[in-house]
Amino acid sequence: MTPRWTATGLSQDLPKAVAMAGYGHGHDLAVWRSATGRLQAWNDRCPHRGMRLSHGFVRGETLACIYHGWVYGADGGCKHIPAHPALTPPATITVTAFACVEQDGVIWVAPADMAGSPPAISGMQPLRSISLTCGVADVLAAEPTLSGQDVLRGLVQIGGQTCGICLVVQDSPAGLTLHVLCGVGADKVAASRWVEDLRRRAEAKVAA
Amino acid sequence: MIAAEVLNEWYPVAMAAQIRAGQRRVTQLLGQTITVDCQEGAIVVTGQGGALHVTEAYGHVWACPGTPAHDLFPIPEASEHGRRLVDVGVVRVKCSPLRAVENFLDIAHFPFVHTDVLGAEPHTEVNRYEVQIREDSDEVWATKVTFYQPQAAKSSEGGIVTQYMYRVAAPTAAVLYKTCPNRTDAWDVIGIFVQPLSEELCDVWPWMALYDDVSPQAELIAFQQMIFLQDRSILENQIPRLLPLDPGMEIPTQADLTSIAYRRWLKKRGLTYGAQMVAA
Repeated sequence: MTPRWTATGLSQDLPKAVAMAGYGHGHDLAVWRSATGRLQAWNDRCPHRGMRLSHGFVRGETLACIYHGWVYGADGGCKHIPAHPALTPPATITVTAFACVEQDGVIWVAPADMAGSPPAISGMQPLRSISLTCGVADVLAAEPTLSGQDVLRGLVQIGGQTCGICLVVQDSPAGLTLHVLCGVGADKVAASRWVEDLRRRAEAKVAA
Repeated sequence: MIAAEVLNEWYPVAMAAQIRAGQRRVTQLLGQTITVDCQEGAIVVTGQGGALHVTEAYGHVWACPGTPAHDLFPIPEASEHGRRLVDVGVVRVKCSPLRAVENFLDIAHFPFVHTDVLGAEPHTEVNRYEVQIREDSDEVWATKVTFYQPQAAKSSEGGIVTQYMYRVAAPTAAVLYKTCPNRTDAWDVIGIFVQPLSEELCDVWPWMALYDDVSPQAELIAFQQMIFLQDRSILENQIPRLLPLDPGMEIPTQADLTSIAYRRWLKKRGLTYGAQMVAA
């Protein structure tokens, strides 16, 4: 798998001290933001008993597994095992960390040694993320004014106005997710309805 | 092809009272469709190859799809005078039946999954306890287990240090004995009987034999249902769904001695239905 940046969410949907499920580079991920705002993406699996860390809870600068409360620090290393409070956890208990940055209101992930930056999306405002039961080709077929591969861009008509739209593609075994941005100044409610209409039109391409 | 060791064990397939009341149950056992019903007063379990071996115990119907290697395990407390026997019902869980049993044997999760009921921070420490595989009964036992609990049972009034014993009585059935809030001379007994529908799907049938003459039946059932639904939120989010028997796939600690013994016992006996043998 060629290393590349994958969008896994919008910054606005991940407040401080919250963890959420993400996906990138063939891995389910736990994407979380510490109390001070530091963003991280880890393999979504506690090494102890395999529980998804995205169900865990953030305390300060650590993420803890919801199953047994094992605490992981900023480097992905296990810092504390509540069942044995006096024990210093062995350094071998670690969670694999991925590169994780946010740019233009989008959260991007890549393998830890990834060089370079994610694609730039300037002059847009984050709108919402949306899941679809179809492929990218169906989206492009439903809205031929859009073009692109990982980032679909185009000018579309929303409520009688011409509006810039940007759909950042997140493809995973669970399905297709689009992280949507629209032109600054656009009517966000109208743009959101346009996105839902696009979903219906794109999913209809599968049925047809 | 399912190993003979697996086929020759007993598995719960229904609540006996429901079948005796005339409810026919079409379900799965080890991936095969079976039917449980009552014919002229006798409970019959039928699969594609004909009738299965059947026994009725602890409120449930048990079936063996092969040739029973032994009788169903005993729970002597089930026939003790004064105990209330409670059939809790069924909780369907999208996980390996072995993961469901292992979770039942685990205490370290109480403060985080059953918060302020079976455990609470900062009382998270699991003291050393004893685990053995008993050769005579071929069962896994954990004894001298203690844990602080804010509300150990429906009948509890405040926090206590609860004593526990755990017992793996069959590959997909376990029984625990815990401090009875109402009596100092007896244990409350709680079982989970897990029906392996497939390697990654199970029906969990909790069952209790308690000294509690006060709590309404519906409240006892609701308490256990609450506990098991909290467990389900964990069990359906463990990766992989199968229970890894290979050391190295998951990292245990001292608090996991029962789980370690259970995994070894399964592996040694070839009871690998619902297990992952090689790290993926």
